[in-house]
Amino acid sequence: VGDVLRVIDFGRVSPLRSQTLWHAMAYEVGAGAPVTLSFARPSAPYVCLGYLTGAAEVDHDYCRAHDLPVYRRMVGGGPVYLDDRQLFFQIALPVSVLSSSRPAALRAMLEPAVAAFRAAGIDAGFDDGEICVGDRKICGHGAGQIEDAVVVCGNLIEAFDHERATRVLALPDPAHRSQTLRLMRRYVTATPGDPQTFMSALADAYASALGLRAIPSEISAAELERTADLDRRFGAARWLSGPRRPNQSISQHRQVKVRAGIWTLAAWAPGGARLVASVVKGLVERVTLTAPDLSGQARQAERALAGIRFAAVADVLSRFGASGRELAAVLAGVGGRL
Amino acid sequence: MTGSGHREISGFAVALDRGYQTATHMWVKLTGPGRVTIGLDPLGIETSGTLAQLALPDVGTELTAGRPFGQLEAVKFVGPLTSPVSGTVLAVNKSVVADPALAERDPFGQGWLIEAELSEPADLDALLTDPLQIATWYAARIEEYRLSGAIAR
Repeated sequence: VGDVLRVIDFGRVSPLRSQTLWHAMAYEVGAGAPVTLSFARPSAPYVCLGYLTGAAEVDHDYCRAHDLPVYRRMVGGGPVYLDDRQLFFQIALPVSVLSSSRPAALRAMLEPAVAAFRAAGIDAGFDDGEICVGDRKICGHGAGQIEDAVVVCGNLIEAFDHERATRVLALPDPAHRSQTLRLMRRYVTATPGDPQTFMSALADAYASALGLRAIPSEISAAELERTADLDRRFGAARWLSGPRRPNQSISQHRQVKVRAGIWTLAAWAPGGARLVASVVKGLVERVTLTAPDLSGQARQAERALAGIRFAAVADVLSRFGASGRELAAVLAGVGGRL
Repeated sequence: MTGSGHREISGFAVALDRGYQTATHMWVKLTGPGRVTIGLDPLGIETSGTLAQLALPDVGTELTAGRPFGQLEAVKFVGPLTSPVSGTVLAVNKSVVADPALAERDPFGQGWLIEAELSEPADLDALLTDPLQIATWYAARIEEYRLSGAIAR
């Protein structure tokens, strides 16, 4: 990998460029450019989909009405809301230098970020693979292999608009949106670290972890050319639509991951029964059941479901009439794998 | 799962009735003249982490040996699924796309990824197919991954 860590601060850039610049950098690192750490801050709010996220997970009508562009990145994770109060970092390095284990590689590339948060006065640590303070997520991360490079991304969240981060999601059930917002407020938080201190500490931490010398740098001509190509690709409707997912049109449930181990779920059965639940560390935290044929039994079912392991929900539901059995069938294929 | 034609090696079941591309952990099983099923072996799955999403190509897509034919996401890390052969996609396992855990539960059976018609049958010659060599390679790879910390079990 040579002996240099290029450090590029793109500064405040357009929403599109806040994605395409570092993707271009990753392609060039895969082609032999030095390991590169970059920073960017979007000049305006927008929404970004993970590489394999269904485009239907975002409320495009809302985004259009509020001038929020939607782009698709080439790293993992779900749909996220980004704005200028989030400073993003990206480290790109050859795939050959990383562990064969993706979890191990990811952890190794996030550890310098934890060190940088701590250097910026934030008591960060790992919780279930997420960078957290206590049990609250403070950094949204994702990773991907782009040709022969791996890029790992994250952010310093100086302030977080929980309402908007929830509102941009396509959540047809208001109770589901409400549960998601509640958990988002509880489990995702901003941190007041100084951006300059964080950036400097992050460069030092990656340089130290990789045995490289951090050198402030500029984007190359080849990367700029690649960026222009990616501007066109990322701006195309075909790219935004992403890979086709099976049964998208007939899906009977919707899951939203708030952070690792924390998620919400809405499920609807053909007969009209609906269930909204929040799940914390594998246990059903809250549940709302609407089932016309259950009348008074719906509250009884809610009580039976609260606090149990999510894996047992289908079994319990199946004891509550036809609606319960229909919801149980819908939930049979649902898990906490997001 | 350990079934007929499978052998357990250091805690991992490995099927000995097919070929392996050792660099990518993709398996290839000949199911008819010029026709193969392709999947990811248990070590490939173990080193990916818990599978969250799979994206596989449409039927009719051309495959090129050594090039990505799909994507896999685990632990918010997206990476390519590399084709071990050249050919054309005949079928896609929609069940595994809908439930990627199927590949973890039954990697050599119901967790198959795609079926393909070979355009370069000689691609099969590059695979590891001798049962003894497969077992030796698997044992060595498990040891290597354990020593490097890539797998914990």
